[in-house]
Amino acid sequence: MNLRNDGRTSDQVRPIFLKSGVISQAKGSAYLEMDKTKIMCAVYGPRQVRREDFSLQGQLTCEFKFLTFSCKYRRQHQQDNQEKDYSVILLEALEPAVRLEKFPKAKLDIFVTVLEDDGSSLSGAITAASVALADAGIEMYDLVVGAALRQNGKMVLMDPCGPEEYRPERAPAEVNQGSITVGLMPSMHQVAALALRGELDQQTTAKGIKLCIETCQKIYPVVQECLIQSVKKKLAEQKPE
Amino acid sequence: MAEVLLSEAERTFIIHGVQDNVRADGRCSEDYRHMELETDVVSNSNGSARIRLANTDVLVGIKAELSPPAPGRLDEGRLEFFVDCSANATPEFEGRGGEDLATEIGNMLSRAYDNPHCLDLRSLCVIPGQQCWALYIDVLLLECGGNVFDVASFAVKAALHNAKLPVVTVSEEEGGEMNLELSDDPFDCKRLDISHTPCLVTVSKIGHNHVVDATLEEEACCLARLMLGITTEGTLTAMKKEGSGSLDPDSVYEMMESGKKVGQAINVALLHKLTEEEKLGLTKRQKGFLR
Repeated sequence: MNLRNDGRTSDQVRPIFLKSGVISQAKGSAYLEMDKTKIMCAVYGPRQVRREDFSLQGQLTCEFKFLTFSCKYRRQHQQDNQEKDYSVILLEALEPAVRLEKFPKAKLDIFVTVLEDDGSSLSGAITAASVALADAGIEMYDLVVGAALRQNGKMVLMDPCGPEEYRPERAPAEVNQGSITVGLMPSMHQVAALALRGELDQQTTAKGIKLCIETCQKIYPVVQECLIQSVKKKLAEQKPE
Repeated sequence: MAEVLLSEAERTFIIHGVQDNVRADGRCSEDYRHMELETDVVSNSNGSARIRLANTDVLVGIKAELSPPAPGRLDEGRLEFFVDCSANATPEFEGRGGEDLATEIGNMLSRAYDNPHCLDLRSLCVIPGQQCWALYIDVLLLECGGNVFDVASFAVKAALHNAKLPVVTVSEEEGGEMNLELSDDPFDCKRLDISHTPCLVTVSKIGHNHVVDATLEEEACCLARLMLGITTEGTLTAMKKEGSGSLDPDSVYEMMESGKKVGQAINVALLHKLTEEEKLGLTKRQKGFLR
C-alpha cells in the first residue's frame, strides 16, 4: 500500500482538533487544526444593518483572510482575488444552513483567519465557520462540513497538505490534475459548497465529489462531539450557585 | 445580478414550465438563445470580440504587453483578467455596485484558465526569467440580460482566437544585453491556439429540474447554480456552486452531465463560427455597434 509523506493512506484525513468559544469578545468562535493548518473563526452578530433597506431576511457577510505570514509566499494585507473568491464560496456554503428569517433587519459577520496554511484551508474554514455559528447560538438547519481532495492522474489524495495541493505550474499538462472542495450539510445530505480547479474529466469529478461527501459524513461526529463538549463545559460553569 | 421583481404567479409559472421542459420563451432546458458574435471590433487592441446573446452584451479587448514573468513561473506568459460591469448595463452597477459581480466573473474566468493544458503559456515566453507576453484580458459588460458568465467566457475565447501578437526577435548584444525587436509587418504575427480553452456553462436549478442559459426572470427563481468550465474534449476546468441554496448530490451529477453535453456543443459551434469568420478575411462586412 502506498503511503503519503506523513504516513497517511490516500483516503485518510488528518486528525482534527476543534475547539469552540476561543475568542471572548466574539458572539461565537472556533479554532480548527488539521495537523499544521490552523484556522480561526469569529462570528459577530446579529447586529443592526446601517442601511435603510428593509429586508425580511438577515444578511450574512463573510471575510476570508490568510495572514500575511501564513503561506509560503507573503500575502498582502488587503484581500486579494483568491481571498475574495474564497469569501464568496464560504458565504454561499453557509447561507443555506443559517435560518436567515430569524433575524430580519440584522446582519451576521463571519471572519475567518488562516493562521497557517498547510493545505485544505477552504474546507477547514467551512467547518470552522459552522462551529463558530453554532457556538454563537445562531439557529441553523444543519452544520456545514468541508472536505478537500486532490486528483493526481489516477491517484486521489484526500485532505491534501501544502506540498500536495494543486499548483498549475507544477502539475503535468495532462487530464485529471486538479482539486475539488465540497461543503456538505450531513443530516440533510445536501451539497452547500462545491469548487473545482484544474482539469478533470466528468467521471473522475463525480467519483471525487462522492468521496468528499463520504469524508464529510466521517468528519461530522468529530464536529458534533466538539459542540457537545462545549455545551457541557458551559453548563458546568453555570452550576455552582 | 440585475434585479427583477417577480410575482408569485410568474414564479410558479416559470417553475412549473421548467418541470415540463418548456420555458417561458419556448426553449428546451438545454437551448441557448440567439447569439451574435463579431471579432476585431476594437482596432487598438491585440484582439477583441463582442458577443450579444439576446439582451446580454459583452465586449472583450486583449492587450499584450512585454513584462517580467510571475515569480515561480519564469518560463511562462501571463493572463490577467479584469472585468468591468459598466453602469450602462443596469443602474445597480453605478459607482462600486458592480464590483462584486465583476470580481466574481474575473475569479471564475481565472479559475477556468488556471491549468497548463488550456492555453500554451510557454509559447508566450520571450526571454525565460526576464520577459514574457502578459495578456491583459479586459471584459466589459455593456448590457445585462442574464447569463453573463457564459457570454463573458465565449467572448474571451473569441477574443483569444482573434488575438495577434507581433513576432519578437531576441538578439544578444555585446556585453550580454538582450535586444528585443518587434516586427513592423502587421501581418507577421503570432496567433494563439484556442482549441483547448474552456467555455463557462451555467446550469441553474429551478424547482426539480435545471436549465442552461437562464434569462433574468429564470435567474430570480433559481436558488442554486452550478458554473462549469468545459473544454471541447468534455473535461471540466472549473466548477463552482453559486447561490444561497443547496444542491442534492444527484442533482449535481445530473447538472454536470447536462453542462458537459452543452459545453462541448457550444465549444464546437463557437470554433466553427470563428474559423468561418476568419476565412471571410477582407470581404467581411463590419457590423460594429450599429444595430
